[in-house]
Amino acid sequence: MTVSEALTEGAPPDGSLGFLHVDMDAFFASVELRRRPELRGRPVVVGGTGDRGVVAAASYTARSYGIHSAMPSSRARRLCPDVVFIEGDHALYGEVSQNVMSIMRGFTPLLEPLSLDEAFLDVRGALHGVIRPEEIAARIRRRILDDESLTCSVGVASNKFLAKLATERAKPRATPTGPEFGSGVFVVAVGGELEFLRPMAVRELWGVGPATGARLSRMGIETVGDLAAQPESRLIASLGRSLGHHLHRLAHAIDERPVVVDRGMKSIGHEETFARDITDPGDLRRQLVRMSDAVAARLRSRGQMGRTVSIKVRFADFTTISRSSTVPEPIDGTGEITDEASAMLGLLDTTPGVRLLGVNVSQLSSSRIRQLSLEDVHGSSRDPTDPVVDEIRGRFGGDSIGRAAALSKSGRPANKKIGDAPWGPAAEPEPGTAVEEVD
Amino acid sequence: MGMKFRCERDILQNALVSAGRAVSTRGGALPVLSGVHLVLVGDLLTVTGSDIDLTITVRTTVAGAEDGVAVVPAKLVTDIVRSLRPGAVDITMEGDELSMVSPPSEFAIRTIPADEFPELTAPEGDAVTLQGAAFRGALQQVVKSASSDDARPILTGVLMAAEDDGLRLVSTDSYRLSVCDLAGTSILSDGQKVLVPSKSLLELSRLIGDSEELTLRLGQQEASFEVGNVSVTTRLIEGDFPNYRGLIPTNHPNRLTIDRGALLDAVKRVRLMAQESTPIRLSMSSDGLELVAVTQDVGQAHESMPAAYQGEDLTVAFNPEYLIDGIEVAPGDEITLETVDELKPALLRSVEDEDFLYLLMPVRVS
Repeated sequence: MTVSEALTEGAPPDGSLGFLHVDMDAFFASVELRRRPELRGRPVVVGGTGDRGVVAAASYTARSYGIHSAMPSSRARRLCPDVVFIEGDHALYGEVSQNVMSIMRGFTPLLEPLSLDEAFLDVRGALHGVIRPEEIAARIRRRILDDESLTCSVGVASNKFLAKLATERAKPRATPTGPEFGSGVFVVAVGGELEFLRPMAVRELWGVGPATGARLSRMGIETVGDLAAQPESRLIASLGRSLGHHLHRLAHAIDERPVVVDRGMKSIGHEETFARDITDPGDLRRQLVRMSDAVAARLRSRGQMGRTVSIKVRFADFTTISRSSTVPEPIDGTGEITDEASAMLGLLDTTPGVRLLGVNVSQLSSSRIRQLSLEDVHGSSRDPTDPVVDEIRGRFGGDSIGRAAALSKSGRPANKKIGDAPWGPAAEPEPGTAVEEVD
Repeated sequence: MGMKFRCERDILQNALVSAGRAVSTRGGALPVLSGVHLVLVGDLLTVTGSDIDLTITVRTTVAGAEDGVAVVPAKLVTDIVRSLRPGAVDITMEGDELSMVSPPSEFAIRTIPADEFPELTAPEGDAVTLQGAAFRGALQQVVKSASSDDARPILTGVLMAAEDDGLRLVSTDSYRLSVCDLAGTSILSDGQKVLVPSKSLLELSRLIGDSEELTLRLGQQEASFEVGNVSVTTRLIEGDFPNYRGLIPTNHPNRLTIDRGALLDAVKRVRLMAQESTPIRLSMSSDGLELVAVTQDVGQAHESMPAAYQGEDLTVAFNPEYLIDGIEVAPGDEITLETVDELKPALLRSVEDEDFLYLLMPVRVS
């Protein structure tokens, strides 16, 4: 059977609060400032400095001078001759992005990344009944600040479209006198959606570009409130069927899109560089169990199974060894993946000390459509505890439950900060990287 | 080591093509195995191709002038001979080159050292005679169900087992299982069973063609079949074939009886909309059979057809290729599909031929 595209998505909006839009604040520039703190408070731009260079990202201080992304670098320099240009390090941004996404996945598997620094989350099922969505938003901000020393803004609403608009209200603002901190989290309360939208300029709506904006303006429509007052038929008559329909719905705060977890992944994996090289086989085994669990949980959350399990081991001297094994039937069980990975690790001499360990599953196929095997006739070999663990993590977060084999004798895994929840896919010591290969 | 003979192009071509079927296209560890081995003794030319697991030897009569041995690149020499004009070809070994002359064409190709060609021993067991057409039919019914996954070597084989008064062939790739009984054919002693690579049997079934009979010799580690002037020797697979008997449900409450050709045509049509490994769904009721395939973002197909059905209304999803494989090889004009539920194996049988059985696992859609 061919590898089928797997698609996992959350339920459509149901009117309740629980859609989050998380957007990192000046992401590239902030990552650069993190490793060059001496530049804090100065206008910093990430982008090309050549004749045709453009601004990829601008710090909030740089934005105070009117500099924004996609602006020609030459113009940025004219606006602010003191601006500090930094050439982008996209490998680093990708790595940091993976860490941030992993933190968010600890709260819900229903995560839809929009770009390196932006994602939608559906937290309606996460921590259900225990913690409100705005509190989850605050916790996400807190975790990202604690673990990555980066700030982000979060919009909370009852659908994706409103959540994304809400984020803008939570953002820091660049003013001519310097940046002003935002609230960090902005909530569009259930029942307050139309009130939130009404004063907004139509150009802020998704799908309204300069041309549509000008056309609406000629019709006397400037705000979303003006737009909502129009009959749908008039919008369709002047904008066409699909755009007219679309804007009518948005003006009435209707957006039925679910959160769609990534599609078409070729492999799902996880690797970590340890703070200190690991020489103790027991410690290494615990790390492997925890990472296999994280990979297996992600496979299941995406509705995928894989046939090839690989491990990657980098020793203290940077020598790197990869091993892989292919099983006859696709697997997604924590136990199965751990067994395969452990068997391969057991054949390696790790006494020189391991700097990096990685677990990866490839040859993916959908678990939703599954050709049954004659081996299924006498009962499934699937581990009945996996769905229960997934359910618990779905409700109480990725950190809420995990394998005892991932624990050290003291009851805590190595490389963990005291007070951190000890388990789960999100429990990643810095600088962990989740590795996902897209078609 | 001169080697010199004259031969009709067509005869040489046939021998090279047949022996070449055993030559590995993958280019294994032994470069010499990418070649065909030619041995001339008197007027008898023996052409052999092998990938170690499977060896095919063709014996043919030529006008021999000087005995000799050569190994030549299989694909190249076959392509050359095929391209020559009809008529006689003069083959001469000169030094380490083989010349092939068929005026106005002249070819000279570098040979591969012949002493590296592995020494192959044929089994010496007693020869048993098999009916060509019946055995070929049986092979065709089972070879497709064998696995092509080298990671599961046992399932790449076809089980040949002594059963009651005949020979039973069984194969499975773990998604479907084929069983075919050849009554009255006893090539094995009581309770004996061997596991023969399905790839070898596929080549054998092609070589059998219209031949009326073939002979079989079984050894400890290999089996050898002789069809006319061709012999096929294959390694046997070691290991225990899964216990397939327990997999076949003894009680199927639902039974669909349907015209084989009509079902085959319908499934082939509806399959066009079963893309991206989506299954084809069979809905069975007293009204007959409905076939449905839906591929998201592509489209759907629907077809209903008359069929006799006894049992509860049931919808089962199958991989269309696996379903077609079973319908295609089932003998006779009418077949039955017996089911338990949408997750248990379904049994496809021929109404008029009890010796055939095709067990197929459904696709689970959640």
